[in-house]
Amino acid sequence: MAERQTKIDVKKLFAESPKTPVKLDITDLNNFVYDMSRCIKCKGCTWVDHIYMPGAQFRTRCPTATRYLFDSYGANGKMRIGIALAEGKLKWTDKLLEIVYADPLCGACDVGCKRNLDLEIGLTLEALRVKAVQDGVGPLPAHKKIAQNIKKTHNFFGSPHNNRTKWLSSAKITPAKKADVLYFVGCSASYSNPEIAQATAKILKAAGTDFMLMPDEWCCGNTVFSVGMIDEARDLARRNIDEVKKTGAKTVLVSCAEGYRMWKVDYPKLLNIATDDLGFKVVHLVEYVDELIKQGKLKPSKSMNMRVAYHDSCSLSRLSEPWTPWEGERGWMGMVEPRLARRRGTNGIYFQPRDILKSIPGVEFVEMPRTRENSFCCGAGRGTKEAFPDLALWSAQQRLEEVKYVGAETLVSACPWCKNNFAQAVKADGNAIEVLDISEVILASIASKG
Amino acid sequence: MSISKETYKVLESIVGAEYISDDPVVCEGYRTGPGGYECGLGYERLMTVIPACVIMPNSTEEVQKIVKVCCRYKIPYVPYSTGFYGPRSHPHVEGELLIDLKRMDEIEIDDKHWFAVVGPGAIYSPLQEEAMKRGGYVVIGGGGAQASVVANLLGDGWSPLSHRICLPHRRILGTELVLPDGELVRLGSLAQQDDPFWGEGPGPDLRGLLRGYTGLRGCLGIVTKMAVKILPFQPERLEPSGISPHTTLLLPEKRVKWINFVVPSKEAQVKAMFEIGKAEIAGAVTKVPLFWRAIAKAECKEEFWDLWGQENSDTINKFFIVRVLLIGFTSEEQMQYDERVLMDIMTELGGEARRTRPSDESWIKNADSAGMWVMCGSYVSVDYVIETLSQATEHGEFYADLKWKYTPPLMPDYGDPGWFQSFELGHQGYSEFLVYWDQDQNTDGVDLFYVDTAKMNIKQGAYTSLLGPHQPLYLTGPKYGPNYHTWLLRVKDEFDPQWLCHPPVPLAHDVFVERAKWMKPLKDWEVPKDLPK
Repeated sequence: MAERQTKIDVKKLFAESPKTPVKLDITDLNNFVYDMSRCIKCKGCTWVDHIYMPGAQFRTRCPTATRYLFDSYGANGKMRIGIALAEGKLKWTDKLLEIVYADPLCGACDVGCKRNLDLEIGLTLEALRVKAVQDGVGPLPAHKKIAQNIKKTHNFFGSPHNNRTKWLSSAKITPAKKADVLYFVGCSASYSNPEIAQATAKILKAAGTDFMLMPDEWCCGNTVFSVGMIDEARDLARRNIDEVKKTGAKTVLVSCAEGYRMWKVDYPKLLNIATDDLGFKVVHLVEYVDELIKQGKLKPSKSMNMRVAYHDSCSLSRLSEPWTPWEGERGWMGMVEPRLARRRGTNGIYFQPRDILKSIPGVEFVEMPRTRENSFCCGAGRGTKEAFPDLALWSAQQRLEEVKYVGAETLVSACPWCKNNFAQAVKADGNAIEVLDISEVILASIASKG
Repeated sequence: MSISKETYKVLESIVGAEYISDDPVVCEGYRTGPGGYECGLGYERLMTVIPACVIMPNSTEEVQKIVKVCCRYKIPYVPYSTGFYGPRSHPHVEGELLIDLKRMDEIEIDDKHWFAVVGPGAIYSPLQEEAMKRGGYVVIGGGGAQASVVANLLGDGWSPLSHRICLPHRRILGTELVLPDGELVRLGSLAQQDDPFWGEGPGPDLRGLLRGYTGLRGCLGIVTKMAVKILPFQPERLEPSGISPHTTLLLPEKRVKWINFVVPSKEAQVKAMFEIGKAEIAGAVTKVPLFWRAIAKAECKEEFWDLWGQENSDTINKFFIVRVLLIGFTSEEQMQYDERVLMDIMTELGGEARRTRPSDESWIKNADSAGMWVMCGSYVSVDYVIETLSQATEHGEFYADLKWKYTPPLMPDYGDPGWFQSFELGHQGYSEFLVYWDQDQNTDGVDLFYVDTAKMNIKQGAYTSLLGPHQPLYLTGPKYGPNYHTWLLRVKDEFDPQWLCHPPVPLAHDVFVERAKWMKPLKDWEVPKDLPK
């Protein structure tokens, strides 16, 4: 029996307690055993933040848990499965691979959990995929095909590398040989969505921003990283960062949310450096344009009469907070030292795209029931569309229900992957909803000047 | 032990292949712990297993069919709505079927008569939002906004808002219950017609049987539908604000307002609650543990301990706060009247109003129970007491004494006497005692403390509502009622003669004590030899 304390010395209790080393290193699932073991099944990973709960409709923010229903597909189930895997009590099976990979890793679970707790759910899910690859069972065949494409042609699609800058010629744009801003176009805007690359380039020109391209742009590596192929992703990170440094660019500008997260968060994570230590700034087009508009350097003056809903692309919003390397030790009551500033999704890019859209004359901006950190992912990202197209389509359809619910005519996102997935869902369902990338909307609003 | 292929096929034919699985990975995802409510303890380790199979019905009829198959093939089963309530709501025996009710998540509002019909998979916050859109409200129980409405109303179902709108059994209306043999019982007005608008019906009222005081953890059948009263609130919108984790409801101050008062003593605290109830004002009146405030202020676990480390036994035990929620149910003028009465009461008692934010993070729409785990990683509410206001506070002192004996592994809280509040306009006082620990430490002391609280209550002649399946039935049964255990077991035998519905509940804690060697020092009561093994 303890003495009746009148005062406890927390620092002493921590100092005298046994310690366990901790790292936020996703190459070892054991780094996240504490996090997995503290999941309390509150399903904050699944539900919309209760404060923002919109009612009987649209209650959840996790596509996977909502689609597959069994707890095992939600983060709460995966934490339990992860422990069993870490302890060697479960062996890899097709079902286990499906549970680990049928998931857009959209971060809804991570920010939902971190509203109340300090658990690293998102990193744990990434570590599970890395373990699948380390154990020789992952990724899935569809992912391996992408990895092969990237290896052979430096792009996601396996298209000829020479076609990467084809979008330039039809847009009649000539980038600068040297500039402070480097526009990293990405695979999607280069090959499948040239309208985004062209719009981005025209917006920059209209704003008087000189930009250059990477002399030999390769894939950012989003998919290989996301499916756990950490070595391949790290090689691409090193290569791409080196290429940027060679150009002397001060800012890497992207128009793709997935690419944004890779450059800003996952490259530093892969290389164990801070985002601030990249040697250049990473910005998404919406950050750049929002600032230009607020500085009066860009004015959307052309009226666009439309009722618009904005979809927060996960990698631009709740997943986009900068990375800071951390390692330390865990002691009494699970406290860690040194202090860890947890990434809770608070400082994602939420307001800039909304402010841009609201600044356009004639645009009637409406929020969907699930917004910002509570958004329901389109389902396309991080290897999902390739391996589980039905999940990706279903997720997009769920989101489109919200678009219809608020009576929007146009759905705008800031990522080509979202745009394509929504466009396919619209086509499949025959909805009268227009799907646009925000770059297209911005360009149209300034077109008279551009 | 698995479920036979033959049985699986029969079950599959009821729900379809997409909604049943006996895959070991799927079943592993339904493990109760190691984290969660009452997890990381001996009970969880010794008494729970992963299910042999998980099935997700979509209707009362499907539930009936599943239960009848279980009876025919002698398959033990457990109903499961969200899984939040920890080990006691998870499978306890090998070969058990987990009936996951999340597909049955309907929320249908009867706008004319102001009640909601909910399925067991529906949680609180969507229901509250629908109610508030109509100017009404329900109580989101302390279990949290993420709790199943049905499960929570069967087990607990109260919060500070119960000061005004009463205990849960008064809000349960027409209900559908699938008995352990698969037969359907319709309670309340549903017994006579397809309208669940009224709680009472012909014949015995089985609502008491369903929930007792704090529920039977799914060992007496499965509620598949329940009508719940919606009470009048006020018309102004409570606007959500902030970005996670700092989200809150902004309060329309002329219609909804929290005020925190500091009063000079525990007696003044009790008196204030009594007088507020007597004056029939306010929507909630409560005293919360000081560490809840530290949880609310802290950005992270470490910051919580920074804040808690600044406290001492004096600051904890002389923390006499009365937190009052004023609601202008009928008008702004009514709330102004309530506030004037409240201020008069507080002036007489020496209470001082402190600056209180015009927002609500917890209780109105989001009972923030998940935050309870931030500081230690493990938590359980070890006792609920519903007595008079003055008796309920005495209970807190006993608890504070007993907690010292088991600290550590319990969190050092200087003997904080817990959460205390008025129920039903002061006609009852409610106390809840919460304990926290780190599950990586030796937790035998927490297991011992849990049962020792029952012995303490017996010794003190104190009432506790955590009886039934929450404590060893043969310890508490002979002392309360007396012999309520014989009644409970007869009821169980009558309704579930094969003991297939969540066995060995309500004897699970008795079995646990027999299995756990470290519990022997406390074991001084008799159990029959035929206790389930």
